Amino acid sequence: MSDEPLNQSPAIPDARHSTLQNIVRGCRLGLPIFLGYAPVGAAFGVLARSLGFTWWQAAICSATAIAGAGQFIALSLLTSGANVVSTLIATSVVNLRYVLFSTTLAPQLPNVRIPTLTWLGFTLTDETFAVNIADIRQKTATPASMSGVGIIAWCGWVLGTVVGALAANSIGDPTRFGVDFAMPAMFSALFVALAEDRRHIVVGVVAAALALGIPLLSRVGMPVSSNWVVVIASIAAATLATVVSSDE
Amino acid sequence: MSSVPAPVIWGVIAGMATINFALRFTPLALLSRFELPRPVLRWLSFIPISVMGSLVASEVLRPGGTWQAPLTNAGLYASFITMLVFRFTRSFLGATLAGMLSFVALRALIG
Repeated sequence: MSDEPLNQSPAIPDARHSTLQNIVRGCRLGLPIFLGYAPVGAAFGVLARSLGFTWWQAAICSATAIAGAGQFIALSLLTSGANVVSTLIATSVVNLRYVLFSTTLAPQLPNVRIPTLTWLGFTLTDETFAVNIADIRQKTATPASMSGVGIIAWCGWVLGTVVGALAANSIGDPTRFGVDFAMPAMFSALFVALAEDRRHIVVGVVAAALALGIPLLSRVGMPVSSNWVVVIASIAAATLATVVSSDE
Repeated sequence: MSSVPAPVIWGVIAGMATINFALRFTPLALLSRFELPRPVLRWLSFIPISVMGSLVASEVLRPGGTWQAPLTNAGLYASFITMLVFRFTRSFLGATLAGMLSFVALRALIG
């Protein structure tokens, strides 16, 4: 079986058989993403319907954007009467972190064919990124397994949206099942998965502290839009870590 | 509820699809084709943990953009429980479910 890890064999000449196996492996790896996305997607579906989206408009929106927070922000702006341009600017700002993820993944994917790269880019989210990066660090990721993670995540998000949009009236309040904590729970688990050593933990905690501290700047007359907090905190913490650890 | 006009809905759908794809794909396409300098690579290696740290902190302690005090914050305890479960099981699924369950239970207990 040529289930070769990315780091050792960037140009993976997989036989059809093992590619399929790797895709299936990726789907399994991404199962928690599916479980996390489906209910949140459903919540998006319900909300979109209440704003005048048809169920299939909600589905197309989820299928083409696959942007959790970005989509919710779009809805809340539309509710407040924002126009197309300002809605798009706001969601783009929230989604700027994808540039960071994409840049981080890029060096791990030399010689990956453009169609695969396109799919990996299309399905790049906080969760697929974190699961794939953790898998890459375990040296078990392949382009096919990463595509599998993307497939299962996309399915969860789109299926959830469709179910939510179609059953908008009968679902009621999904938060009573703890659905609103699915994403924070997943991020918590991913935090541990990505904390390889003490240095990483310190960097992560510094980023967390910055994320909590930056909003306080508004008290000294420097308001920072909450859309930027994660991006700024991450860049600052990573930069600090690079400078401090540069001699090792 | 007020309905958003169809042209606006379509504009937002098309715009989000295009912009999101550009943001996600462009760096992947351009930067996977040549070697990045070592300091940049080191910087990038710290990005994932930083993003997770700031996401967890924001979502748990400032849900919806408002500060929620730690002592009565069901999400904070549930987040630690999730981390512990993952630490010992290495299962994303198990940890996520344990986190959601403990969140519901704790929320019922401490509001």
